Amino acid sequence: MLIEQSAYANRWRTVAPDAKGLFALGGLVAAFAAAGRLEAALAVTAAVVAATVLGARVPLGLYLRVAFPALLFLAVSALSLALSVDRAPGDGLGVHVTGAGLDQVSRVTGRSLAGLAALLFLVLTTPLTDLIVLARRLRTPEVLLDIMVLCYRTLFVFSGALHDMRTAQAARLGYANSRLTFRALGDLTANLTLQIWQRAHALHQAALARNSDGPLRFLPTPHPHARRHTLLGGLAGALLAALGGLLAHGGAV
Amino acid sequence: MSDLILELDGVDFRYPDGSMGLDGCSLAIRRGSRNVLIGANGAGKTTLFQHCNGLLRPTDGVVRYAGAPVDYGRAGLRALRSKVGMVFQNPDRQLFSASVREDVSFGPINLGLDEAAVTARVDAALAAVGMDDLARKPVHNLSFGQKKRVCIAGVLAMEPELLVLDEPMAGLDQAMQEELLAVLERLHGRGMTILLATHDIHFAYRWADRIHLMAAGRCTASLDAPALADHEAELAAIGLRLPAVIGLQRLLRQQGLLAEGAPLHSCTALLARLQEIQR
Repeated sequence: MLIEQSAYANRWRTVAPDAKGLFALGGLVAAFAAAGRLEAALAVTAAVVAATVLGARVPLGLYLRVAFPALLFLAVSALSLALSVDRAPGDGLGVHVTGAGLDQVSRVTGRSLAGLAALLFLVLTTPLTDLIVLARRLRTPEVLLDIMVLCYRTLFVFSGALHDMRTAQAARLGYANSRLTFRALGDLTANLTLQIWQRAHALHQAALARNSDGPLRFLPTPHPHARRHTLLGGLAGALLAALGGLLAHGGAV
Repeated sequence: MSDLILELDGVDFRYPDGSMGLDGCSLAIRRGSRNVLIGANGAGKTTLFQHCNGLLRPTDGVVRYAGAPVDYGRAGLRALRSKVGMVFQNPDRQLFSASVREDVSFGPINLGLDEAAVTARVDAALAAVGMDDLARKPVHNLSFGQKKRVCIAGVLAMEPELLVLDEPMAGLDQAMQEELLAVLERLHGRGMTILLATHDIHFAYRWADRIHLMAAGRCTASLDAPALADHEAELAAIGLRLPAVIGLQRLLRQQGLLAEGAPLHSCTALLARLQEIQR
């Protein structure tokens, strides 16, 4: 919901998704190019985060809340990469930090941070409907796009249904103790499964009623300055990629 | 051109589980008219509507559109569904896309129109239901009434001749009902034939040209709305009473408080007439 909120409320909401896609792609290329040097990767990350927070005006608090689970996962991964359990001669089993391990941590962390920043830039500034249009333009198979469209729409329908059912159960003491909680959750799952099946049938009927004969096609949202935005996004992305490469190969940070 | 836009003639429909949906149902809709289908829950209104659009095929009997039996082949259904627009009761079961504009474009794109024509139709349909300023809003952030209007826009964009709405007033507050009514009035003013289902006999009397009564899978009577007062028995047969405004007018005329004249179809109109007389 935080991602959704930001995608619709940011300053670059109406910028063509192609432009934002190109910039994010530039960020990903830069993440790989700069991975050899942590400072370079951090500089790329900082540039992309700045574009998201200062350029698109995505609130920093919201940004950090969205990034937190990924950062936590990265921290745990880095820790497990840095430490190795080894049997040193005459020392028994021990946990060691090796130079090679630290090098690997620096490489993985730098690349992950920059890559995460690039992807967060894209999803926090672009509504999923625009991303689907972008994916369609990139010739993603129709069946995948249909699944994306339906999943995205039904996500909200079923979260509403889930909330209503849970409230109705709680109002009748469905979650009063652990035994009732298990029972209520089971009922909720069964009921929701049935609803999903019924709603899938209803959506199919509704599609047929509007002359659908297969793929779900829609009119793309118009972006009045798409050409200019795409050019700027492409340039910024290329610049970012070049920056990553330059900093990684000898440039000072 | 046939005067009857849609006709069901002795239509039977049985669901796969064996339950009866329609049982010898006959109904005729005149081109350009405002029609209300009224009946209790489970009377078969939704099943009948799904026959109008070719979503269900009769097990027996005939459905005719513009005088010709419906062709249930691929091309025939395409033609029928481009002329009969269907608005379902629950908007969340009809809206696919998370974007208002995209969802409205779904039907016209399926008609094979080019992008410019689709854009023009989408803009016109959104304007017709007063949703043009919310075109870029995500569907899940709309109110129930707004979602319902998006559903209507999605069907209007296909420019149907007959608009079928399954209980369009259900779940709407008074203000939203009035807004929706104004939309339907505008559409009827443009020559569109409208058929809608409701439980509200007062609304039916106020709005419709023809009232079709339905019970146990069949249409029990089709009445001219202005002459509803003469059909108390038919209404009673499906458990309905005459609208209160009819009884009130009768009483006021008997008491000499209201002059004879054309019947008034709503309590609001009757109140206005009485206030006029008092002045």
